[in-house]
Amino acid sequence: MKDDNGPFAAEMPAARPIRFDRSKCIGCHACLEACQADVFVPGEKRGPGQPPVALFPGECWYCGACVMECPSKGAIALVHPLINQAHWVEKKKLTGG
Amino acid sequence: MSINAWPYQLELDATERIDAEVLVLGGGVAGCMAAIAAARAGRKVVLVEKDATKRSGAGGTGCDHWESAATNPCSRVSPEELTQAMLDDNEGYNNGISHYIECREGYDRLLEIEAMGGKIRDSDDEFKGAGFRDEATKFLFAYDYRNRFTLRIWGTSFKPAMRSELDRLGVRVIDRVMVTSLLTEGGITGGRCIGATGIHTRTGKFYVFSGRVSVMCMSRPARVWLFSAELPGLCEFRPTQCIGDGHAMGWKAGAEFTMMEKSVGAEFSAAGRSYPPYGAGNNHNTWYPADLIDAKGRTVPWADRDGRVLTDVSERFQPAPGQKFFMKGGSIDDPHHEIAGPETVGAAKLLEEGYALPFYADLSQLPELERKVIWGMMIGEEGKTRVPIYENYRAAGFDPERHVLQCYGTGWTSASFLPQERQLFGLPGGFVNDWRLRTSLSGLYAAGDSLFASNCFGHAAATGAYAGRHAAAEAATSAPIEPDSAQVEAERRRVQSPLSGNPEEGVGWKELNMGIAKTMQTYCGDPKRDELLSIGLARLDDYAQRVVPVGFAHNPHELTRLLEVFDILAVAQLILRSCLARRTSSKALCFTRTDSLELDPPRDRRFITIRQGAKGEVELGSLPLDYYGDLKAGYEAANADYARRAR
Ligand SMILES: Cc1cc2nc3c(=O)[nH]c(=O)nc-3n(C[C@H](O)[C@H](O)[C@H](O)COP(=O)(O)OP(=O)(O)OC[C@H]3O[C@@H](n4cnc5c(N)ncnc54)[C@H](O)[C@@H]3O)c2cc1C
Ligand code: SF4
Ligand code: SF4
Repeated sequence: MKDDNGPFAAEMPAARPIRFDRSKCIGCHACLEACQADVFVPGEKRGPGQPPVALFPGECWYCGACVMECPSKGAIALVHPLINQAHWVEKKKLTGG
Repeated sequence: MSINAWPYQLELDATERIDAEVLVLGGGVAGCMAAIAAARAGRKVVLVEKDATKRSGAGGTGCDHWESAATNPCSRVSPEELTQAMLDDNEGYNNGISHYIECREGYDRLLEIEAMGGKIRDSDDEFKGAGFRDEATKFLFAYDYRNRFTLRIWGTSFKPAMRSELDRLGVRVIDRVMVTSLLTEGGITGGRCIGATGIHTRTGKFYVFSGRVSVMCMSRPARVWLFSAELPGLCEFRPTQCIGDGHAMGWKAGAEFTMMEKSVGAEFSAAGRSYPPYGAGNNHNTWYPADLIDAKGRTVPWADRDGRVLTDVSERFQPAPGQKFFMKGGSIDDPHHEIAGPETVGAAKLLEEGYALPFYADLSQLPELERKVIWGMMIGEEGKTRVPIYENYRAAGFDPERHVLQCYGTGWTSASFLPQERQLFGLPGGFVNDWRLRTSLSGLYAAGDSLFASNCFGHAAATGAYAGRHAAAEAATSAPIEPDSAQVEAERRRVQSPLSGNPEEGVGWKELNMGIAKTMQTYCGDPKRDELLSIGLARLDDYAQRVVPVGFAHNPHELTRLLEVFDILAVAQLILRSCLARRTSSKALCFTRTDSLELDPPRDRRFITIRQGAKGEVELGSLPLDYYGDLKAGYEAANADYARRAR
């Protein structure tokens, strides 16, 4: 996708929910068709190793449907932004046990 | 249009006309079940969904609790008792009709979904011998193990099963089309609903739908007070695109609404203060009844409604001495004593007693099957949990036998909000309905969370099928009416003009949504008074006149978002008008005025109704809180055939 920015780089989004592993992607677009926020659009090329483009990352609802519908395990991952990464600890550390 | 490339072929000059006997608007839980019921009744059904029906809506990626299945063979509570408890818990400000349908027919819908391929029983015997399992039916129950009316279910399988059933029954499903308006007979506000218009969210193609009868299933409003321009998809609990289009178009068409003055202090916004739902420490809902421990590893005590400390985990699933049943779940916030269940001691008291922050949810000491049913079944089957919580936390090393998960804030909300940050959560306002789930607009039925005081998956499924059934009966005897061409053309201009505006002078969807949200926080926060509400309304009227005409979108996707925000604006205006109409404070409606000293005076204990008249004037009305009469009699009068078959 071209941007309105001319030669300048686009601003980094506040979150990047979707990460693809191109080596595993078969280019089927099941993720794009499953998304109810329509976060994705088709890229310029279509085929193995060519996942769609997550053009509207801010609109992601973090539901995981894209990952659930992907037929190629590991081709797509959903990642919470830093502000939503919850914290856990080993219980032993609290009880000193 | 801008210089940016758009990957889809644009079809701005095209119009597609589609005719249905029953037209279903919105393909979430209620919409799918409505379409299925109408198709079973032999009608030609068209379902229009803004996104992808297979996993769209609040329940598309899952649901772990099916509430109020009062007629399941293990239940010890009757539909009448359960509905009455819901009414009493809200001082009467609740939808007696829709919740009675939920209690009376919900279990039938569960069996119907099972027949479509949804998993509702522990058929693999994973939980054999657990106290929450019925060995004969293999049903798993939650919360009150004695009374057994809430089921644990494998909700990730439900919407895909419904989607296949729609195909099997020959329903025409039209995905990626946003419904933008209701068409009325002669184009008149308040006239019979005879169809709808829509726009393709990728190509911009315009649609005209005619329906002898239509069913509204677009859920409830959102993003009215809460908005984040960076993370708009995270600023509310419900899906990004579920923002109350149905309420806006119903209002414009002249349908009657009630309880729109009700909003609650925000409970959930992961763009702001909350952490991912079901992904932070708590002991409610999906995580009921996890142990809580404090920063020093001390376990927090549980007590029943009377303060009796519970020493064994098994007591957390039993009513208190002398109590028939207790209720937990999506619509139970601050329960009355009659139905209050076990809870951990309140945070304020714990801090007073020397417990140290932060607290953590701890599954490690629960009986094995209780732990496994929370982490692995409920977390996994609940909406938005399979991938972002269950799979991702496990991949990052979370082990519920060793680790404890931090709590943020108290309860399940994982956050504290400011008083002006409000939300339509729990049981908010919506379309007024009768015993056939007809709205006040002839030809238009409503189901699921578009109805007033409605919530939950089972409720959406039960009311969806019920509305579909009644709509089908009416459609069988009514003739189609041709849409009014002036109304259609005006709508086409309205929805397409933002694409041809001037980007240098235009206002985008995010700026407008932010403006509305800030206006609502400033003038319709908590508490309320007339001067503030009136200024707020004037600000929104100004947006409607000055900003909406210069709304700009680069492509059909942005256009969809902009049209949504226009709908949010209409909803916000409706909310302010409804607030102005309620003259005194009301506890159950979470409605506080500083310019009235009266709280719930008898003369105001009623549903205030509101709709738009033929000339755009606001018409206020009133319904008694028990307008639906005796529950059982009202239901049976409208459903003689169904009730006889069910027996
Ligand atoms: C994370 C989460 C977990 C939940 N867990 C539970 C649970 O365990 N148990 C429970 O009982 N309840 C649960 N709920 C609530 C339950 O999912 C909802 O109450 C239920 O799905 C409402 O059904 P509905 O059909 O009214 O709305 P939805 O299922 O949300 O469907 C509305 C549909 O309308 C479509 N739509 C909206 N606008 C338009 C338009 N303009 N044109 C066309 N289509 C449109 C949407 O895309 C959507 O598909 C949960 C909700 C969430 C968000
Ligand atoms: S997580 Fe859900 S909303 Fe986000 S991109 Fe995937 S399918 Fe779309
Ligand atoms: S669904 Fe999976 S394999 Fe298919 S395009 Fe998306 S990431 Fe690639």
